[in-house]
Amino acid sequence: MASQASADLVWEIVRNNNSFLVKRKASGGVQFSRDSLNLTNKNARKWAGFVNDQAIGVVAAEKDAVKVLSKKTSESNKPAKAITETVYSGGKSARKTYVAVANQAAKSNYRADLREAAVARASAIRHSYKTPKPSPELKLRGSKAKKASE
Amino acid sequence: MVAKHIPIVKKKTKKFNRHQSDRFKCLSSSWRKPKGIDNAVRRRFRGRMAMPSIGYGSNRKTRHMAPNGLKAFLVSNTKDVELLLMHKDTYAAEIAHNVSSRKRVDIIARAKQLGVKVTNAKAKVTTEI
Repeated sequence: MASQASADLVWEIVRNNNSFLVKRKASGGVQFSRDSLNLTNKNARKWAGFVNDQAIGVVAAEKDAVKVLSKKTSESNKPAKAITETVYSGGKSARKTYVAVANQAAKSNYRADLREAAVARASAIRHSYKTPKPSPELKLRGSKAKKASE
Repeated sequence: MVAKHIPIVKKKTKKFNRHQSDRFKCLSSSWRKPKGIDNAVRRRFRGRMAMPSIGYGSNRKTRHMAPNGLKAFLVSNTKDVELLLMHKDTYAAEIAHNVSSRKRVDIIARAKQLGVKVTNAKAKVTTEI
């Protein structure tokens, strides 16, 4: 977007209404964003990947992998071509994945401010692949417990 | 990650009723500020009912919080639950009333994978034995 309209201008135009935005009236009017280039899903200038020229996104991929999206500044006028994808397979150790994600965010002057959030998101995604613990069986109380014991 | 515990304080749990709504059945109890020149409630006389004011507001850090420390976020599908991936310590998912029990099962399963709490997980899903 760099050459057409500044990210600041775009943000001021779309911050209250865009296709990624999810608004709720409850909880004091929360706003979230469905943007895949948004690391925290918050609707805020810092995290709005579709607005910023440089942005990192971490999404789930097949076979327990973590996919990192990033934007090329050279293709800023071609949004479809601007996004590059890197897949870190589920077989790769957690620590190596995080180092790779951190490097992708912060190395070569990309977006060092997104490093921590990118790693946190990669970690949360990896965690979600684990089979969840079965919830403990409910203990019956009162008359139902009496009936069961009989 | 988890900040120091802040107790949830509700400064007033009872409603503010409109002045004299207890005396006239046609007068709704919804709050209206008394405007009369002689009104004792407006002049805050001793023993009269209290008027709402900003001082009754909750601490901003605990505002909109349920007793479990989470805020509710209304979800209608699994994609909405995924928004809470990085906010599971602040927000709990609340399934909208018009979601079928078949889709509720999917939502609850996805929330469990992500570690997101669902406030109404039992609704419409559990069957009576």
